Amino acid sequence: MILQLLIDSALLGGLYALLALGLVLSFGVTNILNFAHGEAIMLGAYGAFWAFTLWGIDPLLSIPIMLVVGFGAGFVCFRYVIERSLDAPHLNQILLTFGIGLILQNAAVLAWTGDLRSANPSYSMAAINLAEVFIPVGRLLTFTVAAALAAILYMWLTRTEYGRASRAIAQNERAAKLMGIDTRFVYSLVFAISIAVAAATGAALSSITTITPFIGFHLLVKAFAIMVLGGAGSISGAVLGGVLLGLLETTVAYYVPEGSGWAEGVAFVALFLFLLIRPQGLIGTRVHG
Amino acid sequence: MTSSPLFQIEHLNAGYGESIVLSDVSLDVQQGEIVSLLGPNGAGKTTTMMAITGLLSAYGGTIRLDGHPITDKPAHKRVDLGVALSPEGRQVFPELNVEENLLLGSFASKARASRPRNLTRIYDLFPRLAERKKQLAGLMSGGEQQMLAIGRALMSEPRLLLLDEPSLGLSPLITELVYDTIPVIAAEGISILLVEQNTEAALAVSNRAYVLSHGRIVAAGKAEDLRDSAVLRDAFFGGALSGAAQ
Repeated sequence: MILQLLIDSALLGGLYALLALGLVLSFGVTNILNFAHGEAIMLGAYGAFWAFTLWGIDPLLSIPIMLVVGFGAGFVCFRYVIERSLDAPHLNQILLTFGIGLILQNAAVLAWTGDLRSANPSYSMAAINLAEVFIPVGRLLTFTVAAALAAILYMWLTRTEYGRASRAIAQNERAAKLMGIDTRFVYSLVFAISIAVAAATGAALSSITTITPFIGFHLLVKAFAIMVLGGAGSISGAVLGGVLLGLLETTVAYYVPEGSGWAEGVAFVALFLFLLIRPQGLIGTRVHG
Repeated sequence: MTSSPLFQIEHLNAGYGESIVLSDVSLDVQQGEIVSLLGPNGAGKTTTMMAITGLLSAYGGTIRLDGHPITDKPAHKRVDLGVALSPEGRQVFPELNVEENLLLGSFASKARASRPRNLTRIYDLFPRLAERKKQLAGLMSGGEQQMLAIGRALMSEPRLLLLDEPSLGLSPLITELVYDTIPVIAAEGISILLVEQNTEAALAVSNRAYVLSHGRIVAAGKAEDLRDSAVLRDAFFGGALSGAAQ
C-alpha cells in the first residue's frame, strides 16, 4: 500500500514538476508572471489530440513537434507583444497575459467546442503489475518525458552560454547587461523555452486526462501552488514543489473518505498555508520586486 | 599626446528623468593610462560610468572609443567594442560560482575564443580566485568579490577598464591588495578610468585625474599636482570649509 502510494505520488509529481518548470523559468528570468501559461498547455494538449485523431500520430511523438511549435509561438508572442510591457507595472503585465489567456481559451471554444476530449493510444489503459504494485503505462511514459525534459532544462541552464546568461539575468539584470548580454533577446529566448515546455506538457497530458478549453486556468493555479511551495524562481524548487504536491494529493486521495474529490483542493490549501506561514517557499530565498 | 586618445568624452550631459546630473563633462584616457575621476558622494561619478557603459543613455555629447562614437550603441554592444565596467558595489552574480561569474565576463562573442587563456591570466593576477573557483560568489568576502568583479570585467578583453569605487567597504590592507593590481593591468596596455572617493589610494596609482563636483569637471591635471590642491579639498568639503577659511 505504501509502495503503491509512493509510486503514484512520484508519477503525478513528475508531471506537476513539469507543469511548474516552464512557469518558474519565465518568471525567474523575465520577472513577468505569465497568466496565459495554462492556455499554452491547453493548446499543446489539443495539438497532440488532433494529431492523434486526424493522422494517428501518437501523443508521445507529438511532444517534440509541440516543443518546436511552442518555441516559435512563444518567441513571437514575447518579442511582439509581451516585451512592450517589460517596464510596465506588474498589474499591466498580469492584465496583458491574462487577456492573452482569455483570447486563447475562447478561440479554442469557438474552434473545437467545449466537449471533453481525450487521445487514447493503445497503451493508455495498459498497466504493469509488479508483485503488488500497479503501474499505469501512460503515466509512466508521461513521467519519463517529464524527467527527461527537466534534465535537459537543467543541463541547458548550467552548461550552455545562454543558460548561464539566463541565470545571471535572474540574479542581477544590470550586471548581466554589463557582461555584453542582450537581455531582451534572452527574455524572448527563455519565454519561448517556457512555452515550448508548456506545449510539451500539454501533449503529455493529452493521453492521461480529458481535455477541454478550460483546463488552462486550473493547471495554472496548480503551477502557482507548486511555485509557492518550492520557492518562486527556483528550478529545483519547482521539482521539489511538484513532487510534494503529487505526494499530498495522492495521500489525501488514498486516506480521506471520498478522497479523490478532496485531492483537487489540496493545491489551494497548500498555497494558502504556505503564503501564510512560509511565503519564501521550501528552498526559495530570493524575492522579486 | 600627439595621437588621438583611446577614449574620449566630449560635452556629456546625462541624468535621470528630469534631473540632470552631468553637465558638459569632457575627459580623455590615453592607451595604457590610469586616470581617476574623483569627487564626493553625489558628484556624478557613477552616473558618468553608467553613461559610458550605456546602461544610462546620454542626453547630449559624444563618447568615443578609438575615435569612433559609441554614444548610440546599446550597452551589450559596447562590451564587444572593448568597454568593461567593474561596478560600484561589485554586483557579482551571488548564486553562481567564481568560475561561472568569470565565464559570463567573456559572454561577448569576441572574447569567447580566448577564454582559457584569459582565465589563466586572471587566476594568475588574483590567486585568491583560483583557490575558490567553485565557491558561490555571494558567500565570499568583500575583497574577494571585488577581485572577482575586476577579473570578470577583464574576461571581456577590454581596451578601457572602468573601475567604480574598487575600495568601497574594504579594509586598508585589502584595498592595497586590490590597488596593487591596477598598474599591472595597465602595463598590459589596458586603459583604466578609476572612480573613487578614496582619493589618496586613487591618486597613488594614477597618471592623471579629473575632479568632478556637482556634475561638472572643476579641475584636471597630473595626479601628483592634484594631491594637495585646494580645488580637490573644496570639491569634497564644499563651501563649508572654504567659507570658514575666508
